[in-house]
Amino acid sequence: MNAVILNGSAKGDAAVSAVYDFLLEELPGFGWEVESFVLHDITITPCAGDFGCWVRTPGICLVDDAARTITMKAVQSDLLVLLTRITFGGYSSELKKALDRMISMISPFFTKVNGEVHHEPRYEAYPTLVALGVLPEPDEESEQIFRTLVERNAVNLYNPAHRTEVLFASEGPEKLRERVRAIFSEVEVCA
Amino acid sequence: MNDTKRVLLLVGSQKGTRSTSESLGTHLLDRLREKGLSTEYLRINPSLRTEKGREALRLAVEQADVLVLASPLYVDSLPWSVTRFMELIAEERKAQAQPRAQQLIAIINCGFPEARHNDTALAICRRFAVESNIAWMGGLSLGGGEAINGKPLEKAGSMARNVRRSLDLTADAVAEGKPVPQAAVDLMAKLLMPIWMYVGVGGLGWWLQARKYGASKKLRDRPYRRTDQAGSA
Repeated sequence: MNAVILNGSAKGDAAVSAVYDFLLEELPGFGWEVESFVLHDITITPCAGDFGCWVRTPGICLVDDAARTITMKAVQSDLLVLLTRITFGGYSSELKKALDRMISMISPFFTKVNGEVHHEPRYEAYPTLVALGVLPEPDEESEQIFRTLVERNAVNLYNPAHRTEVLFASEGPEKLRERVRAIFSEVEVCA
Repeated sequence: MNDTKRVLLLVGSQKGTRSTSESLGTHLLDRLREKGLSTEYLRINPSLRTEKGREALRLAVEQADVLVLASPLYVDSLPWSVTRFMELIAEERKAQAQPRAQQLIAIINCGFPEARHNDTALAICRRFAVESNIAWMGGLSLGGGEAINGKPLEKAGSMARNVRRSLDLTADAVAEGKPVPQAAVDLMAKLLMPIWMYVGVGGLGWWLQARKYGASKKLRDRPYRRTDQAGSA
């Protein structure tokens, strides 16, 4: 089973970086072979919004940079882990830059899901999604927006299962490690 | 008092060409200019590319009374450039002892026919305003933005009449310092055309675009398909 981690921490964000370290330490213990991307260390061109990955080279972004590799690894993974500081309820800009470049994972054509229009899937299977959002301390509104965002992503990106967890920097390192361990002890990959 | 109010339109489209976000934002800006408000317009993505651009963006924001963000939906939220812009502005305003009193209005459009896909992006905009000590004046949400495809709204025909009316009502409210009225929210959220028509025309549109690049038979390609996935390519 292979897992891909997209670490969307900003440079110097100690709390998110600590969670990342716990992920790297804990996931192999649950049988995951981990490949990770620390996005602030990788040059990714922002999505140009030209839909080239849909109509010119379907499934592949026109820009040949690290985002192509990240998208390929994400599509081919069993588990995709998004790690981010919760930013106004959403993802950090570091993570968003990578996610914007991943729309090649789905098709331009429309279909209906639960009575609502969405794009068709491009692939037969997609990874289970786990999103870990870090906040300095509990904040109900930010947490709710984040949970809704991940749920919407899971519908649009056809993740067979998803889990959203909000972690608080105020919990301290030992508690955070315990929470990471508890989360991944329960994550199962959908066949 | 209105003649002294400074409105800054921030376009969040990542496209190099004219965008639907720009069509929506400039229509509102034109109405505000007609009412005697001072208006300015910047595109966020190109502004973020250079130090000079970021500084110009920062100064323009600092001097504005009303910020109007017009942005597309990207992966259920705001595009990278808008997210980065928000991080920078929030950081700047949190560092100021007395940040300028400002208001924010957001206009989000998406390629899905239903406007409700934009709800999360609007919630993020509102949260940005709260965390940045900016007064949230409300948001407008448009579905089916691809149908406008960057055309000026005056040239988008009867399909866009509710969109124009919504922005006109919003201009009245901005000029009077009031929140975006519910009538404007409701008009903007109306379907531009029946869903079946949008889906059909949209599908044909993608196929025609792909044909231009000789890719019409590859639209459902799976270049990153796992070798252990069953089924045909």
